Amino acid sequence: MPVKPPLHIAKEQEVKAAGFKPTPESEVKEKFLAKLDEMRSSMRSLMVMLETCTKCGNCAQQCHSFLGTNDYNNFPAARAELMRRVYKKYFTTSGKLFGRFAGAEDFDDELISKWMTYFYQCNECRRCAQFCPFGIDTAEVTITARHIMSELGIMPKFMAGIAANMEKTGNNMGIPRPATIDCAEFMEDEMREETGLDIKIPVDKPNSDILYIPSSADFFSNIDTMIGAAKMFHVLGVNWTISSKVLEAANFGLLFDFNAMQAQNLRLKEAALEVGASLVVQGECGHGWRAAKMYTEGSNGPVPFKIVHVLEYTAEHLAKLPLSKLPMRVTLHDPCNYARAGDIIEQPRQIIRSCVEEFVEMTPNREENFCCGGGSGILMDEMMEIRMQLGKKKAEQVKALGNLDYFAVPCSICKAQLPHVMKHYGMGSLSMGGVMDLVGKAMVFNKE
Amino acid sequence: MDYIEVNGVKIELDEDGFIVEPDQWSEELVLAFAKTEDVPVVTEEHWKVIHYLRDYFKQFGIAPMIRKLCKDTGLSLKEIYDLFPSGPAKGACKLAGLPKPTGCV
Repeated sequence: MPVKPPLHIAKEQEVKAAGFKPTPESEVKEKFLAKLDEMRSSMRSLMVMLETCTKCGNCAQQCHSFLGTNDYNNFPAARAELMRRVYKKYFTTSGKLFGRFAGAEDFDDELISKWMTYFYQCNECRRCAQFCPFGIDTAEVTITARHIMSELGIMPKFMAGIAANMEKTGNNMGIPRPATIDCAEFMEDEMREETGLDIKIPVDKPNSDILYIPSSADFFSNIDTMIGAAKMFHVLGVNWTISSKVLEAANFGLLFDFNAMQAQNLRLKEAALEVGASLVVQGECGHGWRAAKMYTEGSNGPVPFKIVHVLEYTAEHLAKLPLSKLPMRVTLHDPCNYARAGDIIEQPRQIIRSCVEEFVEMTPNREENFCCGGGSGILMDEMMEIRMQLGKKKAEQVKALGNLDYFAVPCSICKAQLPHVMKHYGMGSLSMGGVMDLVGKAMVFNKE
Repeated sequence: MDYIEVNGVKIELDEDGFIVEPDQWSEELVLAFAKTEDVPVVTEEHWKVIHYLRDYFKQFGIAPMIRKLCKDTGLSLKEIYDLFPSGPAKGACKLAGLPKPTGCV
């Protein structure tokens, strides 16, 4: 039976609006193979992943996608095979000579459907790499597969919509500058009502030392994360601003197209140069942190500023913050791109311990933590049923902890995914949000 | 392609059930959408939210922050969910004829 991708695929005009070129049906195979050739010859990491697997099966029990969906093609080694088999057919001698006896497979009409189906059920969480004896990182294969398809103009409608917004406004929600200013003023009013203080959220302020790039959706649904950061900058008395050029730390390019990633990353650089910042502080966004930390220098460098994460920055200044512990029992979800791709592991723990009376670890945690199930931008409404399967391991982890007052999830994709997961698995009343939200709430102000 | 019929006119919808052409929004469309969105009766409070969303969108080109929507309409988030069971970003925006908010939402 043919595989039908469980997501809406962008139509021609949506592909064009996202700045991509659709490929006529008759040219898909040729272009596909040319792109695969280009990727395998330019990415040594991809070659290691394609050449090394011994099918030992170790990854199966470590992958929440396979465990949640029970679909063979979601077993990481099988998922990577979807690329490995065509790679072998067209680029290895054994595959060319012995075909499927050498594990090789022709490009056929179904291949793109299979790729769309299964490379968009991988959360790129890299937990398989953590447990693979060779360190094979299926996320690298997934990222490349999605990139190849996007370059052919084949992408989810969800990604195309975000790409179009990024092009137009520099952020994935598509928030224009006047709305940014209106939102910032609204948050300033909220803080004034709460604290009696004039705490600013400066927008595009020239000659700022720090450029803060808010967590995604802070200007829509996660306002307490932004408020927590603003209060902290206020208390520390630093010269900071946000930029309407990059309003969100997200960089969905990492999740579907390398060129889009580079373009978004360039906006970060330009915004920092424009306001004169020597320090860029990235908000609570998992994949955006990976894109900024790992690829800024390589894709758009050199850069005359330092990039740190807001949780790194907060942990570093913790002693200077007037925090009073909230009477709460709290656990932490480690976003995959912090714990396995971005070196943010102990900082959120230090911060939470300073903000609440009781911090409990879920098991497993840190670099062995399970993904929320929304990672890599699998937030499509039409995939809700699969998303709940992908979130099953996380729900089990949280349920095992008993009563909680707050679930700290310092990443905007996790913040969008987990409320659905918790509701689905009978924990809908659990309150959740970022780590900076706690900082904001635990901060004590003396009225000036 | 999906359509919804309002007064005998077919209005095109996208895959998420949102209208494709913003100009095709009308109060009659709201009544037609209500049936598909688990809203049995469209009350004054529904209209308050819908008109607020439309006015904000007209001025700023985007849906307002959820907390701002609550504050300016005087409704709690729970009340908004009671009015629009699929939530402010989905049901309310759909009935108001706004594009579906996208990104990490």
